[in-house]
Amino acid sequence: MSGPTLLLAETGPRGLQAASLETIGVARALAGEGPVVAVIFAGPSDTATAALAAAGADKVLCLRHPFLEEGRGAACAFVVAEIARELGVELLLVGGTPFGREVAGALATAWDALAATQVTEVRRTANGYSLKRPVFGGRASESLELAGPRVVLALRPNSFGGAPPTPRACAIEEHPVPTIPPALLPGTRVRVRPAESSAGPDLGTAPIVVAGGRGFKSPENFHLLEELAASLGAAAGASRAVTDAGWRPGSYQVGQTGRSVSPQLYIAVGISGAIQHLVGMMSSRVIVAINSDPNAPIFRVADYGIVGDLFAILPPLTKAIRTARGLPT
Amino acid sequence: MRIVVFVKPVPEAETRLRPSADGARLDTDGVKWVLSGYDESAIEQALLLKEANAGSEVRAVTYGPSPRSEEVLRACLALGCTSAGWVEAPADLPPDVRLKVRALRQAAVRWPADLYLLGQQSLDTESGLLPLALAMALGVPGANGALDLAFDAARNELSFERSSEAGVEEWRLPSPSVIGLKQAKNDPRSAKLQNILKSRKMPIDRIPAVELPAAPEVTGNANRFRFELPPPRTGARLIEYAAPDEAAEKLVRVLREEAKVFP
Ligand SMILES: Cc1cc2nc3c(=O)[nH]c(=O)nc-3n(C[C@H](O)[C@H](O)[C@H](O)COP(=O)(O)OP(=O)(O)OC[C@H]3O[C@@H](n4cnc5c(N)ncnc54)[C@H](O)[C@@H]3O)c2cc1C
Repeated sequence: MSGPTLLLAETGPRGLQAASLETIGVARALAGEGPVVAVIFAGPSDTATAALAAAGADKVLCLRHPFLEEGRGAACAFVVAEIARELGVELLLVGGTPFGREVAGALATAWDALAATQVTEVRRTANGYSLKRPVFGGRASESLELAGPRVVLALRPNSFGGAPPTPRACAIEEHPVPTIPPALLPGTRVRVRPAESSAGPDLGTAPIVVAGGRGFKSPENFHLLEELAASLGAAAGASRAVTDAGWRPGSYQVGQTGRSVSPQLYIAVGISGAIQHLVGMMSSRVIVAINSDPNAPIFRVADYGIVGDLFAILPPLTKAIRTARGLPT
Repeated sequence: MRIVVFVKPVPEAETRLRPSADGARLDTDGVKWVLSGYDESAIEQALLLKEANAGSEVRAVTYGPSPRSEEVLRACLALGCTSAGWVEAPADLPPDVRLKVRALRQAAVRWPADLYLLGQQSLDTESGLLPLALAMALGVPGANGALDLAFDAARNELSFERSSEAGVEEWRLPSPSVIGLKQAKNDPRSAKLQNILKSRKMPIDRIPAVELPAAPEVTGNANRFRFELPPPRTGARLIEYAAPDEAAEKLVRVLREEAKVFP
């Protein structure tokens, strides 16, 4: 008899992470009629817990501990491994955020599990799980079979569309925090400077991302990008040329040395498409490029392109989107 | 300060990726193996720390098959690492991070350090699992995604920043720690010709595969059964238009009706 499917939810400044909601849908699909239990490092009456309970889990376990709430990968993994053992769990899912990646790595050791990250497809097989994940910055993909008594998967954000699971009766319980070995606790998070990001959703997990490059010419022109982002409810990003010049904060940077994103829709405006930028966004589902140079490499990876001057194209584009979405223009 | 940097040989960025005949893996015939960008940053970071802390040693260590392992280690020596260690591995490891942890742990025991540094993920399989999996196995603190490390010898502490959903976090971890690096302060340096020549004569310390501890009970089985390329991108379909308004409306229409991404 196998235990429940376990998922570890993540909270952020905006409450429950979108990546965690996506994880519930996948857990539900893989669990069939079996129970789905979610672990969250928050209180039972927190809004993130309520959102998790409403999203299709059968049970939410709430654990409170300052080090867990800080998102320390090793300590979180230790605690989750204890709960997984206690419940006889065979499959554990986390969202594909930096936190999820840390926890999955730590769980491979702490829970003695097979582990994979960036998972874009997964199904149950006779022996375990068969899954697919992009490699080489989305230039190829590999398929793995993980046949083990214990498997932990971090899912790539925005990869599992489909209808959200129907909510069901969900029990919310407080769970005691197992004693964390002192070796996992040293170190101090001195402080956190809140990201100076746009008002939209988080860049790493947003379903739509619009990113601007050097083609914007100066920081004063970026309101055109922010307005386009707002019309789509999208996160705004940028190339490194832009963040290095200080036109936008570093938290905007997409690419090899910035954030890696895989939204449903990525709109690159005034970005040439250098390889270091492409590896951070190439596995987006649909890519649109707007660039005045018809030979810009970005057009080779894009699905749709507009060759033209961004200063002429963006204002009517924002307006057309607002009109189509029934927003005031 | 003693620093061990774990690096992994990966196919150079220009490699034309092809599946092997059985379709299960990358065809590595004729592939040139290099340090990945993240590993280059990790080496750069280690060398910056060495320059800032007199008397430091930087050892590059890899776990991989021959001859790519020696090639990559020589590149590290040419960049300024003071020694190199090689844990021998078969060419095709199953995709199970615990096997790597077992080997690198052996290396960490042989070559104790104040800092075990890695790139935040490899550029080929991009799993990013290793830094924390290894930290847990060594029983020391770990963090991934670090930017710009500094070492405070008096307090025996490593400090760094990293970005998370919450913003930019500032961390201090006691040494020794395992840290996965996203980016050093500088872009990676390149090797001088005279150092490349010198590196050819430097020794590489080897841990033969037989010296690894007998396989522990690694439970479960991981198997890579397909490696495939996405359907070739045919290039963007360009929107034809006479005036910007028309371009905007046409784009909205295709996104909505054809690509179905438009809310
Ligand atoms: C180690 C390393 C790591 C790196 N990491 C990253 C990374 O993480 N992310 C990243 O983005 N880069 C990264 N880079 C930098 C990368 O190589 C490029 O330099 C950078 O991406 C270029 O940014 P860009 O496309 O905005 O600028 P450019 O390459 O200058 O392109 C500007 C584009 O704007 C177009 N344009 C100009 N005017 C207009 C107009 N009026 N309307 C429309 N289009 C216009 C031009 O045709 C051009 O294609 C890295 C580089 C190195 C060496």
